[in-house]
Amino acid sequence: MNFFKRAWLNLTAKKGRSILLVLVTSAIMLFVLAGLLIRNAADTATSNAKKSVGATVTLSANREAAFKKMRSSTSTSKSSRPKLTTSPVKLSDANKIAKLSNVASYNATVSTSANAKGFDTISTSSSSSSTGGGMKSMGGSSSSGSGDIAISGVTATSSVSSFESKSSKITKGRGITASDEGTNNVVIESELAKEDSLSVGDTIKLKATTGTKKTYTMKIVGIYKASSSASTQQGPGATDPSNSVYTSYTFANTVKGSKYKNTADSVTFTISDPAKVSSVKTAGNKLISTSKYSLSTDDSSYQTVKASMNNVKSFADKIVWLVAIAGTIILALIVILMIRERRYEIGVLLSLGESRWKIVAQFFVEMVMVLVVSIVIAGFGGKFVGNQLGQQLVSQQTTTATTSSTTSTQGGQPGGGGAPGGTTGGSKPSGNMQGGPGSSSSSSAASQKQTDLDINVTVMDLVELGGFGLAIMFLSIMLASGGILRLQPKKVLID
Amino acid sequence: MLKVNDLGYWYDRQENSLFEHVNLNFEAGTSYAIVGQSGSGKTTFLSLLAGLDKPRAGQIEMNGEPINKIGLTAYRKSHVAIVFQSYNLLTYMSPLNNLLTAMAITDSEHRGDKQYAMEMLRKLGLSDDQMTKNVQRLSGGQQQRVAIARTMVCDAKLVVADEPTGNLDEENTREVIELFQKIAHEQHKCVIIVTHEPDVAAVCDHSYRLAKHEFSLEA
Ligand SMILES: Nc1ncnc2c1ncn2[C@@H]1O[C@H](COP(=O)(O)OP(=O)(O)OP(=O)(O)O)[C@@H](O)[C@H]1O
Ligand SMILES: [Mg+2]
Repeated sequence: MNFFKRAWLNLTAKKGRSILLVLVTSAIMLFVLAGLLIRNAADTATSNAKKSVGATVTLSANREAAFKKMRSSTSTSKSSRPKLTTSPVKLSDANKIAKLSNVASYNATVSTSANAKGFDTISTSSSSSSTGGGMKSMGGSSSSGSGDIAISGVTATSSVSSFESKSSKITKGRGITASDEGTNNVVIESELAKEDSLSVGDTIKLKATTGTKKTYTMKIVGIYKASSSASTQQGPGATDPSNSVYTSYTFANTVKGSKYKNTADSVTFTISDPAKVSSVKTAGNKLISTSKYSLSTDDSSYQTVKASMNNVKSFADKIVWLVAIAGTIILALIVILMIRERRYEIGVLLSLGESRWKIVAQFFVEMVMVLVVSIVIAGFGGKFVGNQLGQQLVSQQTTTATTSSTTSTQGGQPGGGGAPGGTTGGSKPSGNMQGGPGSSSSSSAASQKQTDLDINVTVMDLVELGGFGLAIMFLSIMLASGGILRLQPKKVLID
Repeated sequence: MLKVNDLGYWYDRQENSLFEHVNLNFEAGTSYAIVGQSGSGKTTFLSLLAGLDKPRAGQIEMNGEPINKIGLTAYRKSHVAIVFQSYNLLTYMSPLNNLLTAMAITDSEHRGDKQYAMEMLRKLGLSDDQMTKNVQRLSGGQQQRVAIARTMVCDAKLVVADEPTGNLDEENTREVIELFQKIAHEQHKCVIIVTHEPDVAAVCDHSYRLAKHEFSLEA
């Protein structure tokens, strides 16, 4: 153990050289650390993305099967007009699926519409001319008797994707929650509130256009603001997104008629671990009648984030290895030069009968001591360098990621029912869907949010850095130790 | 104690051998001087005795065991202490640490005994202050005394010195040579000194001259 003491004495006696060694090693360690930090942050971001981007499984009517049925019935009985019949999702089925493992929460969505009674709706000049002069427009499509107010019945607004992605926000009052089941509580958009000078606590009247055609008195419990991006996906013929209101799904069912009780257009399950999406789908399919219903999955946001983070990670990996290799070469050269300079000292130690491996060990210990100081220095500098590099990388990566994710979501939206309801993804369930509030530009917003790299130097990072440093030191000492192992003490001491 | 059997050494070719068929005996408690012209091979011979190089012919025995069988590193560690003209101290240490390091490396019976090392340095005329400062701040004579003290705190029974007084003035030379005599007679070690100074050789118990590839005992 004597070589520990020698190493210490040597470093403290030759301060200038030691400081130089520390500086060079710090620089190398700093770059390795920056790489490690970015890589780890990419890892964390990916696993955070798993948690917060979340993937969903949506239970909805099996339209494909319904179409098939419709076609076959047309061919057999030509008398009747072909009719597409889809069954609304039964909540009892949804409850079964909700009990599967990895299902974190679920949100039932029922879309319908009603006419505003006694208050003005917002008209959009840019949308199709059919909306006319402003108030009491005839609504969008004529296929179903639709009103000018789009009603999105949900379990809770907090689990609606546009609220999850923060593209819609509650600005006053509160959102719809499970406790609103059975009530006539409503959350309206801020533009509509402004237009009609409505605030939380006021009541509005809605007249159903289908079913009972009854008039309902609604109590405003909250006001939300939809970001402008939410309106970008409005298809032609849809009403202005500001005319979208949220209610409990029970109210939407009531408007649609008594046979819709305890049903939903679709139920979206949030999966706690996106990697388990397909297993939830498989398990879920066993619980439902697949001829009537289908389960569709959407983990595209997660996949997008994962792909962009993998790019960052592989780049960071390359940094780590390049710097580690370059560092090993640089340090090996320095150690080789140092050993040449210290031939005399080595000769003295050899003449005293010191074994060669202990001399090598002394050099190694010296370098490890240098390494420890360097890691501390690198630890302070690493956060800064890592942040700079990380930001650069993320801004490049997310630009591409966002672009691709936006296009993919939009690609999935047919021009049909206008803006989708609370669900994400392309497969739109029910036939009588109206432009619901909160469109699904969620995935792009989500990926932007989650790919912020959180660069923090943790003890684990430093331990990992230490491991790399030790390996670099060990290799460079090994490369340089040939000089020690071959050194003839007589040559050094006597010539 | 130390026996040289039929020893021979040459650098490039055997025809140019420095010496061949050398048979000598060195005993503990005795001091020996080796003299000879420059280039005659004194240093080379000493490096063989010190286990720093391997002989071309013959062998060296320490207490009846060939040193190549002991292993040169182990031999240097346990059996021989070396003093050079240029002191060969560890320059990044204090005199005290030089001694403690040597004691640790050679597994001296006094290893770790700081007081013992300090006492030895004190005996050799170093102040407590000088002992703990860097060794390069000392004069040549003082550094050589540190090197000698180093051999004294180690257990090796054989002490070889190559021109230990080469860099010293008369006063220091006399003191250093006296120290070597003490090591031989009081510590009962075998001291072999290569020197070109007749005064130094005269003080030693025996003196060998290396000339014409042969060692001969001087009167
Ligand atoms: N490494 C070497 N390679 C080849 N020849 C060498 C080497 N070292 C020494 N010699 C030669 O061997 C001879 C003996 O050298 P050595 O150093 O043993 O002499 P020396 O008696 O100690 O001389 P001095 O009194 O000058 O110190 C010299 O002629 C020298 O040139
Ligand atoms: Mg010589």
